[in-house]
Amino acid sequence: MKLRRLLISGAAALAIALPGLAAAKEEMLHLVAPIADYKLYVAENTEKLVADTEAFVAAVKTGNVEKARALFAPTRISYERIEPIAELFSDLDVSIDARADDFEKAEKDPAFSGFHRIEHALWDANSTKGMEPYADKLLADVKDLHKRIDGLVFPPKVVIGGAAVLMEEVAATKISGEEDRYSHTDLWDFRGNFDGSKKIFDLVEPLVSKQDPAFVKKVADNFARVDATLDKYKTAKGYEPYDKLTDSDRTVLAAAVNTLAEDLSTLRGKLGVD
Amino acid sequence: MSDGRNGPGRRQVLLGLGAAGAAGLAGGVPAARAAQKAADAPRGHGETRERQPFLGEHQAGVTTPRPAAGMVAAFGVIAETPDDLERMFRTLTERIAFLMAGGPVPELDPGLPPLDSGILGPVVPPDNLTVTVSLGDSFFAARPWLAGLRPKHLQRMTAFPNDALRREACHGDLALQICANTPDTAIHALRDIVKTLPEFLVLRWKQEGTVPVVPARPDGETESARNFLGFRDGSANPDSNDAALMERLVWVTGDAGEPAWAVGGSYQAVRIIRNFVERWDRTPLREQEQIFGRKKASGAPMDGRKESDVPDYARDPEGKVTPLDAHIRLANPRTREFAEHLILRRPFNYSNGVTKSGQLDQGLLFIAYQADLAAGFIAVQSLLNGEPLEEYIQPVGGGYFFVLPGVRGAGDYLGRTLVEASRGSALS
Ligand code: HEM
Repeated sequence: MKLRRLLISGAAALAIALPGLAAAKEEMLHLVAPIADYKLYVAENTEKLVADTEAFVAAVKTGNVEKARALFAPTRISYERIEPIAELFSDLDVSIDARADDFEKAEKDPAFSGFHRIEHALWDANSTKGMEPYADKLLADVKDLHKRIDGLVFPPKVVIGGAAVLMEEVAATKISGEEDRYSHTDLWDFRGNFDGSKKIFDLVEPLVSKQDPAFVKKVADNFARVDATLDKYKTAKGYEPYDKLTDSDRTVLAAAVNTLAEDLSTLRGKLGVD
Repeated sequence: MSDGRNGPGRRQVLLGLGAAGAAGLAGGVPAARAAQKAADAPRGHGETRERQPFLGEHQAGVTTPRPAAGMVAAFGVIAETPDDLERMFRTLTERIAFLMAGGPVPELDPGLPPLDSGILGPVVPPDNLTVTVSLGDSFFAARPWLAGLRPKHLQRMTAFPNDALRREACHGDLALQICANTPDTAIHALRDIVKTLPEFLVLRWKQEGTVPVVPARPDGETESARNFLGFRDGSANPDSNDAALMERLVWVTGDAGEPAWAVGGSYQAVRIIRNFVERWDRTPLREQEQIFGRKKASGAPMDGRKESDVPDYARDPEGKVTPLDAHIRLANPRTREFAEHLILRRPFNYSNGVTKSGQLDQGLLFIAYQADLAAGFIAVQSLLNGEPLEEYIQPVGGGYFFVLPGVRGAGDYLGRTLVEASRGSALS
């Protein structure tokens, strides 16, 4: 992780621009429109993320635990939608979205910051005490992220690959309910990750539907299965806590996620994005 | 955020590196390429070419002699209609048939993920692989359209008095017993199936194990491999080459009162049994031998000289030679009536790492086959309840499963008789 962060903070702008150049190449022309659309989608979400984080941070800083709890999951969802892009800035990803177990001293580690640090205080300690610096930092990080994304040339490989990466992440570290372990708001995150993956798929679908209609149908069916399953847990304000998810629904979701990860991992190859 | 952020794909994007750049980074590419002797592998004896037949009245992997590596993996199944189930079983059949036969992996455009993990190279060797498919009680319980088709004795494993079952290592809708000459071949098969059937199978738990290869002695006598308590394991197992005996003890036959589709199948009991090896190694040898009822060095019964000798309990009614509560005496008192309780054991030793207390997490991946689960494993385990060995062992996982009948020829597939029966019952 260290090596990676070093490389990124140093040469981030340049390095990311490089593969972006490939987009200018003739054979990538078909991707120009979907990537431009995707950029819009990401911009909408980062703007919303900044606005929502402002409200969340304000609630934390005024000690309004109840309000902060209510805003936690809806604020995160915009981040979860654009994770493939947000994670390119891994220094920010660590400070915004790392989990306690990414740190040697877990919850007690002073470097543990961001959403999950505040989540821990809100649900575990039922308090916002001592959270002001983390709240300020979170807002600053989110604004920084917004700025950096604005100036980013979107690499086709990251965008197209992002559809599978989002599913990979749910499969590897989220389906078990480890992500929002204090608030149990994981189903919101799932929703965000699925939205983000589906967006990418929808944008390029016209480019693959002719050559492989069976593939498109299978992927669409699995997204629909996910929707139907998550919809069962919808409430007036959002989603039920993760522990309400039944074993059989978790199995259905896991199978859909794994199948989507497997299928979407061929998207780059199908679109000739190396 | 995920733990997988440092995947090579993204790192290369960030670095703006193609393959050439990455190779340069790998460090110190010498100016002139010197040929290097590239052969760093343990020397084998060509066993990778050994092959087990896939087709047959029964599945392979039950009466097949144990190879050195074994694994049980349990899954949740998503298949809501007989058509789903048929698709799942046909794909599974096709994968297992290929993996057991071996052969070249088709190549794809390098812009796509390869079809195969590649861990056995571009040509998959058969390596004595068997993949044995079985179904758990929950598979039937969750599917009303299979009502009436559940094998008579199939049930959810319940805890015995000495058990400390871990929820995350128990039960399953479907189990695969994967065995091969090398663990890599078993893992390759598992990864192939996980990759090929994600829409049907969700992995729940797995346990791998091994048994040491035991060369025949110069005098031609063969001996059983040892388990992690240092005793020979398998000495008194029924002879799996005796087809008539196996028909009686292991395979479900037409007259067993089982659903017709199940004929040719078998009940499989899987138990992950931890061994407290540090404590065992601090136990006097005489006591160890009394606990099992066999001699540690030779594997002979207490009243015998070699492993294959048969104990004579009739001459030892008070247990002066072989204690009445010795493992082997409880597990098989060798009376005539006990013949219906004999089981075929096929265990592997496992070594999983270190417990929180700093002890070795080792034990036995116990697998037993029988035509009648109640008369077999459950009855025998009930006799073993409270045995002195319990002080040194603790069952922590496993489950009961029903092994599907074999694939009988081209066009047939695993589970066909069940799928067809379910369509029949859906119509009626
Ligand atoms: C960690 C657990 C266990 C260990 C270390 C163990 C070890 C042994 C050993 C060393 C033998 C003597 C050699 C042989 O005949 O194979 C034996 C025999 C046997 N064991 Fe176990 N065993 C264990 C669990 C079980 C369980 C759970 C069952 C069944 C419920 C079982 C049933 C038998 C039977 C039927 C025999 C053969 C008895 C005979 O016919 O003389 N064992 N076991």
